Order: sequence, then C-alpha cells, then structure tokens
Amino acid sequence: MDALRLAWRNLWRNRRRTLITLSAIAFSIMLLQMSHNLSFGVYEQMVDSGVRAGAGHMAIYRNGYLNSRDENLDFDTGTLVEQIEALEGVSQVLPRLYIPGLAQSSRESRGILLIGVDPDRERQANPFLRNMVDTDMLRGSSSRDAIIGWRLMDELQIKPGQKFVVTAQHTDGTLHAELLRVRSVVKSGIKDIDSSLIMVGRDRAALLSGQIGKVHELAIILQKAKLDRQVFPAVAAIAKQQPNIRTVGWEEAMPNLANAIKLDYTSSKFVFLIILAIVTIGVVNTLLMSVMERMREFGVILALGSTPMKLRGIILVEAGLLGISAAALGCLFGSLATWYLWAVGINLETFISGTLEFGGVVFDPVMRAIWDINWMIKIALYVIGLTLLAGLYPAIKAGRITPVEAMRHH
Amino acid sequence: MSLIELRNVSKIYRTGNLEVAALSDLSLTFAAGEFAVLAGPSGSGKTTALNLIGCLDQPTSGQVLLEGRDMGEAKPKELADFRLQHIGFIFQSYNLIPVLTAAENAEFTLMLKGVPHVKRRQRVEQLFEELGISGLEDRKPADLSGGQQQRVAIARAMAAEPHVILADEPTANLDSRTAEELLALMRDLNNRRGTTFLFSSHDDRVIAQARRVIRLEDGCLHDDTGPLS
Repeated sequence: MDALRLAWRNLWRNRRRTLITLSAIAFSIMLLQMSHNLSFGVYEQMVDSGVRAGAGHMAIYRNGYLNSRDENLDFDTGTLVEQIEALEGVSQVLPRLYIPGLAQSSRESRGILLIGVDPDRERQANPFLRNMVDTDMLRGSSSRDAIIGWRLMDELQIKPGQKFVVTAQHTDGTLHAELLRVRSVVKSGIKDIDSSLIMVGRDRAALLSGQIGKVHELAIILQKAKLDRQVFPAVAAIAKQQPNIRTVGWEEAMPNLANAIKLDYTSSKFVFLIILAIVTIGVVNTLLMSVMERMREFGVILALGSTPMKLRGIILVEAGLLGISAAALGCLFGSLATWYLWAVGINLETFISGTLEFGGVVFDPVMRAIWDINWMIKIALYVIGLTLLAGLYPAIKAGRITPVEAMRHH
Repeated sequence: MSLIELRNVSKIYRTGNLEVAALSDLSLTFAAGEFAVLAGPSGSGKTTALNLIGCLDQPTSGQVLLEGRDMGEAKPKELADFRLQHIGFIFQSYNLIPVLTAAENAEFTLMLKGVPHVKRRQRVEQLFEELGISGLEDRKPADLSGGQQQRVAIARAMAAEPHVILADEPTANLDSRTAEELLALMRDLNNRRGTTFLFSSHDDRVIAQARRVIRLEDGCLHDDTGPLS
C-alpha cells in the first residue's frame, strides 16, 4: 500500500509528461479496440451477407463437389432438411441445384449458372431476394419464372417479362432445354453474379437436368454466426447418415471471402504491432526520464536502508500504475468509440459511390462495430504487460546505482 | 567492543588515469553514546569517512568494523539491512522525498522496516513533538523552511531508533539561530537517549558543541581530542 502510494505520487511528479504519456497509451488502446471491433463488425457483416447469398454458415456437399464443381456430384436430400431445421440454432436450410448451361435469347447467347432454389426458403435468407416485392418473386418451384443478373439480361438483350431458353446437359447425357421468362432482375454489384446468374425454382431446374429430388448444396443459415461451433457437430452427425456427403464450414465453402478477411486482419495486426511498439518506446522514455531525474533521491532511499530490489519494485509499480491507469482510460474511450460505431456506424456511401464488394461479397455500406469484450480486455492486459516490460530497463538501471554515486548526481 | 572502528582505512578515487586519495591510512574508534565531529576544510576527507562508516561506500584498503563486524565482507543487501537497522542519516541538503508529506518522510525508514502504519504515525508524532514541529505532519517539504526540513530529516534519522546517526554538514544550509537550535536538540537527544552522533563539519558552532573533535587534513588524521567529558 505504501509502495503504491509512493509510486502513484511519483507518477504525478511531472504532471504534464505523465498526462501526455498516459493519453498516448490510452489513445492507442482506444484505437486498437475501436479498429478491431469495427473490423470484426465489418467482417461479420460480410460473412453474414456472404453466407446468406452463398454457402451458408455451413453447407453439405457430395464428396469432391467443392473442388470439381461437377454437376453429376449431387445427393438426395431425403429427410436431411427437416432433421437439420429441427436443430437448435439453425435458422434456415436452403437446398440448391447448380447447373451450368447456355442461355439464349432471340438475339444473343451466353454461358450461365442456373441455380435451382426453394423460392420461399431462399427469400427469407438470401439478401438479393429479401427486399424483393411479391410480384418480382418466383411463383413456385416449378414455374418458368427466372430471376436473372442485370448484366446477363443486358447481354441477352431481353427485358423483364420476355422469354429466353436455357440449355443444359441432362443426366441421361442428352441436352435439354427449358423456356423461361424473366420475372425480375438482380443487381448484386458482383460482376460474376450479375453476368451469369439465373435463379429458378428447384423443381424447374431439376426437370432441366434430370436431378429430381437432388441437390448440389444444402446451405445452412444459423440464428447467430457464433453458434457454428455448437451446431456444426450436430449437422455433421446428421450428414453422416448418408454416404459420400460431408459438412464444411463457410471458410472452406467460400475460401475467397475467408482469405480476404484473413489478409485484411493480418495487415491490421501489423498496424497494431507498430502502435504497441510506439507505446512501449513512449513508456520507456517517460520512465527513464523520471528515473534519471531522481537519481539523487534514489541514492537517499538506498542510503536510508532500501534494498536495490525494493527500489526496482517502486519503479515497476510506477510502470504498472501507468499501464493500469492508461488501460482504464483507454477502455473507457475504446468503449465509447465502439458504442458510437456500433450504434451509428460509418456510412461509406458518403465517401464511395457504387456497390461495395470485398472477397466476392457485397456488404452493407454502413460499417458497424461489434463488441468483442474478451479482445478489449486482452489488449488492455497486453498494454499493462508492455508497460511493465518497458519499466524493466529503468528499474534495473536504478537498482544498479550505489548510494554514493547516486547522491553525487545533480 | 567499540561501536565503530576504522582500521588503516584508505580510499582512492580514480577518474580516468587520475587517482585522488580521499583518505590515507585512517584509524579511529568511536564508542557508543559519543557526540563527535569530523572537522576539516573541504576535501579533507570528512564526507568520505562518514560514507565509509555509513556503509555507503567501500574502502580501497583497510577495514571498517561496525559493532565488531567487518563491513567489507558484507553483500549489498546486507549493507542495506545494516543501514536500516543501525544507522540514521542526516544530509546537508535535507534530502527529503518531495512527493511525501513531512510525516511520511519521517516514517520512511519505519515503512522500509515494515512497521504498521498506526505505530509509525505514533512514533513520528512523538518525535515531531520532541523536535518542535508538531502540526507540520501533512506539509510537503516544499512548504517547509530549511530548519523545519532539517528537523524532519532528524526525525527520519531518529525514527527507527538507530545506534548511530551520521550527519553530513547538517547546519551548512541553515541560518545561525536555527543551526544552534538544531545542535542543541541533537545534543539533547544524545544526552537523553544515548544515541551516538557523528558529524562532518567545518562549522565552528558544530565543533564547539561536540564532545570529541577529530580534525582531518588531506585525508589524514591531524588531531583527535578524544572523548571529552
């Protein structure tokens, strides 16, 4: 208690210098917490958009399908959808058929990817369909309605309501064609999707390819992304009932998005390290200056009977108090900044026009932070540890002096 | 057994190739309860001798024995413990810790010894009373006069009830009246408590109060009156 009081008063001996160092450390903590929470908020948005439009938080495929995209690698859903939907934490199960083919209008033809979906299920989850008015949606799974990418529609030189033909290979080896009608248009902002997507009811797609009752993908959407560790084993156990199919996480099903997030966070970590290095240099500077200024006083303290170890202890307690105070202040400001970014966010539309795409996923232009309390505590503890580490050198230096040498110091 | 014994002590300071002999072959003994002064002009070796007696420095040759123990063989931690248990220091420029109050400064050695706060405060209040600085407990050193600061320094030196108090030019920064008051106070403490006081000084007022005067010149013993009754 006495050492604490002495260290605390020593810390405030040079009020301005301590305040500057304290503010610099607190600001760094705030910056680290805020940018981490914002990054993870954006990643969560991206993953959410990605999983809803893509393969879900987890997905079931026939073995080998993910690597080859061979349309023959389908599987029978049986009661999989019902069983998985009954699991706690599962929001939706989306069966999908992916059929590569050729779309032809009276003027043009283009290579396309036809996706057969269950319209009602898909509408609840897929961000491209969620905001569509009823009159734009597919009318049943076997209707001839098609939702197509806006670029593809332009390239085929057709308009909503007009007909076009899709030709694909049937499982019997022959080419089959289906006449479809443009029901509505998707403008995703992702070039690949906008220029090749045709979404139809799954029964209509199955008629074209001959894969009745089959799917290539069962995309599973969870109520919360955090539930994936809990739900994954249960889904995998259900999937094991059928041979040759397996469950994969979204990172494996959407490697582009997963790698883009990893790369982005790695560069953020590098910036974090630079900030922490600057903080450490600042603390070493403050403590070293403080120690050099008090050499004479340390000589007196040693002369009065303090051991070098006790003296080192006082300086380390000063470093610790500096770290704890800065961490408390930094966490306060970090929480306020996170709260603002969580509640209000940053609207990128103010700065950038057009659709925002990252890792093949379109994300919300309003960037919002999440609360990663564990990480916030962890970074505050790291900084306290760093300040203690930074206090080691001045402490060792102070402990090495002899009383007589120190008292001669001016 | 004498309280303090210097046996053929020499101290040489080296600065680059230059060697300066601060003390040469000095032998002295002090008994418990003495009120002695090491007198002499600047550079005569007074402070060096006090530093050696106070275990703040090691002799280049010779032995320093305190309570019969050769301090040349002690490790830094043992020296620190010895200082804490047996020696009190009073410095020329008071050397109070500026962030602590007067009472906290006086308590400092008791704090190092791990004495509980309540007991420390009782001891310091009693000393402040004796030294005539009651009521100044909560003042910071910057708010005290030179004389008041030196009284707090005396309280700090006395607090842990050491066997010997070493005072390096304790009156050098004080006006005559305050210096005389403090000397009378220290002599009174010496009489009443039997605490050994050993000063370094070239101040005639201090020398006049001492019961034993040891004169040093160029690091050598010039004259020793021996204990005067």
